[in-house]
Amino acid sequence: MTLDPRAFREAGRAALHDPSLRIALGRLKTHFALGRARAVERYGDWEALREQGRAIRDYALAHLDTLLEEFERNVVARGGQVHWARDAKEAREIVLRILREAGAKSVTKGKSMVSEEIALNPYLDANGVEPVETDLGEYIVQLRREPPSHIIAPAFHLNKEDVAKTFREAHTALDPDRPLVERTELVAEARALLRARFESADAGITGANFLTAEEGAAVLVTNEGNGDLTRLLPKTHIVLTGLEKVVANLEHAAVLLRLLTRSATGQDISSYVTVMNGPRAPDESDGPQNFHVVLVDNGRTRLLGTDAEEVLRCIRCAACLNHCPIYAAVGGHTYGATYTGPIGAALNPGLMGVGVAHRHPNASTFCGRCAEVCPVKIPLPTIMRHWRAREYASGLAPKSMTAGLGAWAFFAKRPALYRFAAGIVACALKFLARNGRVHSLPLLHNWFLVRDFPAPQGKTFHALWTARQ
Amino acid sequence: MSAREDILAAIRARRAKAVAAPPSYCAPAPPDSVQAFVEHATRANAEVRLIANETEIPQAVAELLRARNLPAIVHVPPNASNLPWNSAPGLMRERAAPGPEDAAVAIAPFGIGETGTLAYPSATDAPASWHFRAGFEIAVIRAEDILMRMEDVIARLKATALPPTLNFVTGPSRTGDIEQTLELGAHGPKVLAILIIQD
Ligand code: SF4
Repeated sequence: MTLDPRAFREAGRAALHDPSLRIALGRLKTHFALGRARAVERYGDWEALREQGRAIRDYALAHLDTLLEEFERNVVARGGQVHWARDAKEAREIVLRILREAGAKSVTKGKSMVSEEIALNPYLDANGVEPVETDLGEYIVQLRREPPSHIIAPAFHLNKEDVAKTFREAHTALDPDRPLVERTELVAEARALLRARFESADAGITGANFLTAEEGAAVLVTNEGNGDLTRLLPKTHIVLTGLEKVVANLEHAAVLLRLLTRSATGQDISSYVTVMNGPRAPDESDGPQNFHVVLVDNGRTRLLGTDAEEVLRCIRCAACLNHCPIYAAVGGHTYGATYTGPIGAALNPGLMGVGVAHRHPNASTFCGRCAEVCPVKIPLPTIMRHWRAREYASGLAPKSMTAGLGAWAFFAKRPALYRFAAGIVACALKFLARNGRVHSLPLLHNWFLVRDFPAPQGKTFHALWTARQ
Repeated sequence: MSAREDILAAIRARRAKAVAAPPSYCAPAPPDSVQAFVEHATRANAEVRLIANETEIPQAVAELLRARNLPAIVHVPPNASNLPWNSAPGLMRERAAPGPEDAAVAIAPFGIGETGTLAYPSATDAPASWHFRAGFEIAVIRAEDILMRMEDVIARLKATALPPTLNFVTGPSRTGDIEQTLELGAHGPKVLAILIIQD
């Protein structure tokens, strides 16, 4: 499956007609949204917590340079190494170099969205290192050669029958007649197979939810424990992450954790939160001997100081996706990008360029739910509007839209003509209506397929207003 | 210029606003940290038992295994080897790292009431990987070591030194990756039992 953000419309159309995707997407409301709402209620003063989270992230972004330097110093002091990558290509090369130096042939991976963003797996494959995804959802989509469809639930688009089919096709060494119907059976099968991979891997790559400058630590959140087995069993551990993940200290990370897990899965805390602070001590019997952190820029610093800067506060909780009517309709793959839903719409034009991802900020009803639930108060619709203005300014907006706006501007600048034309349109709509509602108009066939609107009643607003004065 | 210099220069050129350090924050908390711990750990699918003192540990471990029809074998890390194990005759102890179906004991130096979380700093005598290798983890914690918030644990550890790996564990391993439905025991333990020593 190839990723192409430009094909949003075509992919979206196909997604709308995919019956099994409809079943999967139905779980957004019943599972994620409900869980979050309950967790937020249990917490108490959620708004104060959000405000604190916003302030912590803003402080970190305003001191990004000094915090990154401090982080680096402290990682080195604890025996680790820090690498800086300007773009995806540099990041891939750094990771491969570390793996080559470690003599690694197979590498286990904890879920890392940055790894998806820089398309690491195909590159490693092509260079003789076998990447094994170990987050269950990520493992499933890796077997299916698909990208993740949701930033915290990679196999969100699948039902258990799909997973069973994938396992039967991939795990050919197992008894073909084994029962594989229940979720428990699927989880047990993956657990057993992946444990062997953990034990034999030469290196492990994880992401990080936060980097803490004062301690030189990476903080990782998982529910499965796969991130920890990835770090602890092989000789070499690589943390691959965006450089905006840094915060001042572990205490700040502790506040953000409260926001993250409640917003993501509705848990007060995830099963595992790990502070990864360099390689093992000389007398320890487990833990990695080599510890590397790869800091990836890939378009992030370019957003600093722009109208889209606040998107860098994101802690990747996925609450905005889980509450988005567009995501709920078309699913993640439609976006053709690593980051989907509102966060994708606000981030992708910045990372990939407006020319590539301009469909994403247009895929919005501007209902504003995403900004309401965002734990770090990112004004997502405002940022999407910013990208739409940029799209318009660079002449990328569809012809029909520019023509329509041009026509509207022509009338709006001529009030008498505008009033006259509005009167005619109101009359025409009244004429076209049946039982007081308009059911179709030329050129708007698709819009009217699922909705209608009331016909104008009586006079135009202008006429009423003049009469009142 | 190196990538590092380039990136830092780009940040310095673009950063505009001065932002003050955030005020300090204190999460809301119930009055009793042990009670909160029991409540939250139970919600996170852990089985919590209160015991009077250390001497009851071996017996409690044996009972937990029996209740699940598991063999009377438990993996014991170095920092738990001094417990009065002989008080539970018939309970076998293993020193090797546990496998995915094995039971293992773990001593938690700290707990967190706010979330029902166990905190395990890695150490020579407390290998971090055991918390993920075992199929059944039996954690032992003293009531007096249950603090209220994660920040309290961080402060205690910072008073000496942070370990290479600090694991916060809440409930058994889980996944919701298939149909967003909870399944316990994804990679780590399928069961987590916690013995709280009250003395
Ligand atoms: S934009 Fe906000 S809601 Fe969306 S993933 Fe990021 S932090 Fe979560």
